[in-house]
Amino acid sequence: MNIPDELYYTENHEWGKVEDGLMRVGITDYAQSELGDIVFVDLARKGTSVSKGDSLGTVESVKAVSEVYSPVDGEIVEVNEALENSPELVNHDCYEGAWMVVLKMDDPSQASKLMDSQSYEDYLKAEA
Amino acid sequence: MRTPLFHEHEKLHAKIVDFHGWEMPVWYAGIIEEHMATRTGAGLFDAGHMGEIYVQGRQSVPFLERILTRNIKSMPGGKVYYSFFLNDSGGIIDDLTIYCLEPGERYMLCVNASNTERDLTWIISRNREGAAIEDRSPSIALLALQGPDASRILKSSLTFDTGTLKNYTFAMVETSRYGELMISKTGYTGAGGVEIFLDTEAAPLLWNELIGRGAIPCGLGARDTLRLEMGYPLHGSDIDESHTPLEAGLNFAVDMQKTSFIGRDALDEQLKSGLERRLAGLVLKDKGIPRQGCACVKDGREVGAVTSGSISPVLGTGIALAYLDSSVKDNDEVEIVVRSKPLKATVVHPPFVKGAIPK
Repeated sequence: MNIPDELYYTENHEWGKVEDGLMRVGITDYAQSELGDIVFVDLARKGTSVSKGDSLGTVESVKAVSEVYSPVDGEIVEVNEALENSPELVNHDCYEGAWMVVLKMDDPSQASKLMDSQSYEDYLKAEA
Repeated sequence: MRTPLFHEHEKLHAKIVDFHGWEMPVWYAGIIEEHMATRTGAGLFDAGHMGEIYVQGRQSVPFLERILTRNIKSMPGGKVYYSFFLNDSGGIIDDLTIYCLEPGERYMLCVNASNTERDLTWIISRNREGAAIEDRSPSIALLALQGPDASRILKSSLTFDTGTLKNYTFAMVETSRYGELMISKTGYTGAGGVEIFLDTEAAPLLWNELIGRGAIPCGLGARDTLRLEMGYPLHGSDIDESHTPLEAGLNFAVDMQKTSFIGRDALDEQLKSGLERRLAGLVLKDKGIPRQGCACVKDGREVGAVTSGSISPVLGTGIALAYLDSSVKDNDEVEIVVRSKPLKATVVHPPFVKGAIPK
């Protein structure tokens, strides 16, 4: 399972990458492998304000629907439109090409309360 | 419970799920890849969780005539029928295939894994004729080799020519490596090919042989999308005890010429009064995937609900089966409400796609 060091992680298997007050968000390798072939990604609109735990959109595989939850409070300032026509990117490139949204964080210190890669790895082991 | 192929699935790193108490592969490489391999080449499925119930002896015909919807009296040896057990209201207890091993004497019923125990109890309780009933499920494995390439693979592995078999017939084939095989030209994918019943011990050997010849292992996920693209109903989702074969559009598997069978009176009644709802196909015009339970709306009125929905890997759009009010006709437009979002769909008569797409 690929768990890059530099990212933050949630218990719902989202990742967040902090870039000066912004957080890029996607779903983890574990999440995509559990879902299987992703066939549809429906993301919230740019400009939407979200609280931590609010839905950023849905990811659908052949078998299941999964919500993507916001790791922090903030505003969606960018949405990955490539996923509309190429949802399979989530399976092939979940940490780079298949980022989902960029959030402008209300409180950048919220990020440090998320799991780091080591804690997420331990969390996955405990879940299994 | 596990089929004799469980360890083969593990070796192939299948994702295993619980399916009505069975630990079964849902996919290996991925549902879409496996789906397309079956449509264009050959897919290999472990269907060993299905139940095999033998009904034998001179009382078998009068008994089966009464509990099944097909004419068993005139069924020739080597023939397969799709049929149902119905309750007194005409509702479908289970759908099944019946194999005539010896006319008048020996029949095999292949039933859904999730229903095997219940079916067996039901059959035994209805057996006032005194036919011999035996559950052989534990000693029988079932492999489904499906797709336009299936006949080539079968010819090269078993030197068996499926060209000699018509659809819905089977042959007993004696082999030195796998023992006796029952090769049936049937399936649940619409892609063509065969289903092979064999001894559990021989199953891993044949499984690996067929994969070695180019068959792609496929899980329950692809099995479900393949059957849905053909509009084949799944018991427990699209058909059940509260729906009759007539409502499901499965009239071909009900012989109304037969004098009597369990559920017949209710079907007669339904034919007389007309159907209030029918199982229809839906193709989405909007992006999205309909799921079981989604409401169908026409002109602001709820006209039914989705019983099975997914994406069609061949079409790349959402498709569904749904019971719709009889006033809704083919080519009508309806909306399917997917997580409170109405998505436009067209009513169609399945199949949604051609079953085999030769390369």
